[in-house]
Amino acid sequence: MMYILEKKKLNKILSTWAQEHEVFVPQKVEEYSQFLPYTEDSELALKSPHNTRYPPKALFLPQSEVMLKFNNRTQKYEEVNTTPKSRLVFGVRPCDAKAFRLLDTVFDAEDYADPYWKAKRDATILIGIGCEVPPSTCFCTTVGGGPFNQDGLDAILTELEGSYLVQILTEKAETLFASLSPATIEQEKQVEAIQTKAHDSMSPAFETDGLKQKLDQIFESSYWDKISESCLGCGICTFLCPTCFCFDIVDEVQRKERVRNWDTCMFRIYSQEASGHNPRPTRRERTRQRLMHKYSYWLDHIDEIGCTGCGRCVRYCPVGLDIRAMLRTANTHESEAVHA
Amino acid sequence: MSELIAKLKSEIKRLFDEDVVDVVIAFKKADSPLRPQPAFYRKGDSLEDLEYNSLCQNNLANYLTRYPHETRIGIVVRGCESRSVNALVVEKQHPRENLFKIGIPCQGIVDLRKIVKQTGEDVSGYKEDQEKISVVFKNKEYQFDRKDVLHDSCLRCVHPNPVNPDVLLGDPLPEGDPGVLRQAVESFEALTKQERYTWFQQEAERCIRCYACREACPMCYCTECFVDHNPPRWTESTISPAGTQAWHIIRAFHQTGRCTSCGACERACPMDIKMTYLTDKLNEDMLNQYDFAPGMDDTTQPPFASFNLDDKNRFVA
Repeated sequence: MMYILEKKKLNKILSTWAQEHEVFVPQKVEEYSQFLPYTEDSELALKSPHNTRYPPKALFLPQSEVMLKFNNRTQKYEEVNTTPKSRLVFGVRPCDAKAFRLLDTVFDAEDYADPYWKAKRDATILIGIGCEVPPSTCFCTTVGGGPFNQDGLDAILTELEGSYLVQILTEKAETLFASLSPATIEQEKQVEAIQTKAHDSMSPAFETDGLKQKLDQIFESSYWDKISESCLGCGICTFLCPTCFCFDIVDEVQRKERVRNWDTCMFRIYSQEASGHNPRPTRRERTRQRLMHKYSYWLDHIDEIGCTGCGRCVRYCPVGLDIRAMLRTANTHESEAVHA
Repeated sequence: MSELIAKLKSEIKRLFDEDVVDVVIAFKKADSPLRPQPAFYRKGDSLEDLEYNSLCQNNLANYLTRYPHETRIGIVVRGCESRSVNALVVEKQHPRENLFKIGIPCQGIVDLRKIVKQTGEDVSGYKEDQEKISVVFKNKEYQFDRKDVLHDSCLRCVHPNPVNPDVLLGDPLPEGDPGVLRQAVESFEALTKQERYTWFQQEAERCIRCYACREACPMCYCTECFVDHNPPRWTESTISPAGTQAWHIIRAFHQTGRCTSCGACERACPMDIKMTYLTDKLNEDMLNQYDFAPGMDDTTQPPFASFNLDDKNRFVA
């Protein structure tokens, strides 16, 4: 089913939803954007050619999440109820929605489901918005996605003049838009053209065929020295990445809480062992881990690339390192003798 | 710019030909003309992709501490970078005799965020001269006055010329106005105590603890930063007001008399957090109370790092 949502009615519909759900929308903070709870004063940041800078994965895997509290009086741990009331996230980009589906294979796997992740995922409806003019830093189509990819979404919007066309994708979203008027055949055709044009405007950023095999082959190669040479070793690429999910569980003893925090393989202490030994002692091994995880280990696990081409690591790397260029270099790197 | 790049190439070539250095740290062109990257050239490497313009965002002195002391390093330095190199030499992070500083008087680093705010994202072409910066967005050229699009730190720069370079390429520029340097500090000081705290909170508490500020800073070279220490843990790693505030305060304090106001921390920050108002204030105190400015030579210890039996403050004795 397809509906037409007039832009001038957007705030009204969001307010209506907000009565029943906790609604999150992309909003401007300083010069960046982030998903924040919707209020009547919210200034929606839907115009950006790409996703929010701060990733919406934080809505399901918060950067810091209290898992348990310790009660001094009873000398017992107390569970923390992290089940939110019904949530609706409006304005998710397809790359981020796909990432949620990928992360479900980690946090909601057959043999183990993470209750913190699952409770929030189950309670959330995802309304996406496609990217009409994908910027040059994005590369979703290269990694199997697309600017109007429906993967992981409950509904997706396409911007038209003065309105959005809403495509309902799952039952979850069905009733939300029922009060709107249906789209005309003409509008549906118009949207199809917009989506195709957006998709076709993105040329392949690198060759993915055989890339995993290539990376596996050059694991010990000098290639990694070269590409990691300018890396600062900060956590921007991984923290902003929609599919990076590493965490570190710490006991914040002063506040008597056990907390799960984002962690990153780009930090030295990530792999530092208690003995003092560090199996990933330099940026070479850490950079390798980041790329190998996304473009080799994910394929081992679920036969999918663990990158959705969202472009954040490309846009915000302080030294301008571009994962696409790194992978192009990998593809053309001559295999060589084992690295000393 | 192309004339300067040609000079730079021939100087680097000379350094390798005459066996003066083992590696040269400079900038190179990347796929996007807007994002030149730090580059590391060795003898025999092609210098074809060497780049230098006002989009070179990073403080190259940051990479000095990655090399063994025996490595003879050539490094392209602008004003702030030359002072960072000096400060590192003072702290014995690399011997002066194994450094060759290729100095370039700096007209300031362009802040792409300021440009994008006015054009829109996905800027493509880029051109610059002394006065004007121009970019192409959606096939249209946009022109800006250089001073309108420079990084805040660069607008406040007092010493654009490299300090004691081994060679200077380009003509020296007039020194900056110390009064301008005060502006950020002044506007912060003008606030009431409560307002100052609110401002600090708003900035610090956006922090996602990616430590890009630390990693982009040449003076943050500790093998183990205090936030990474365990056990004991000196600060919470949880994203809490206490943890992020502690990080921002202690980071700034560790820079006292060491920060060369290059602004690399703010340029790297993915959350647009202001930090230099703290370090600039600390630097001002160092200047007023100890007559010391970091990196102005490569021998004077910063006051908080010097131990002297003749110290006029005999509080220890």
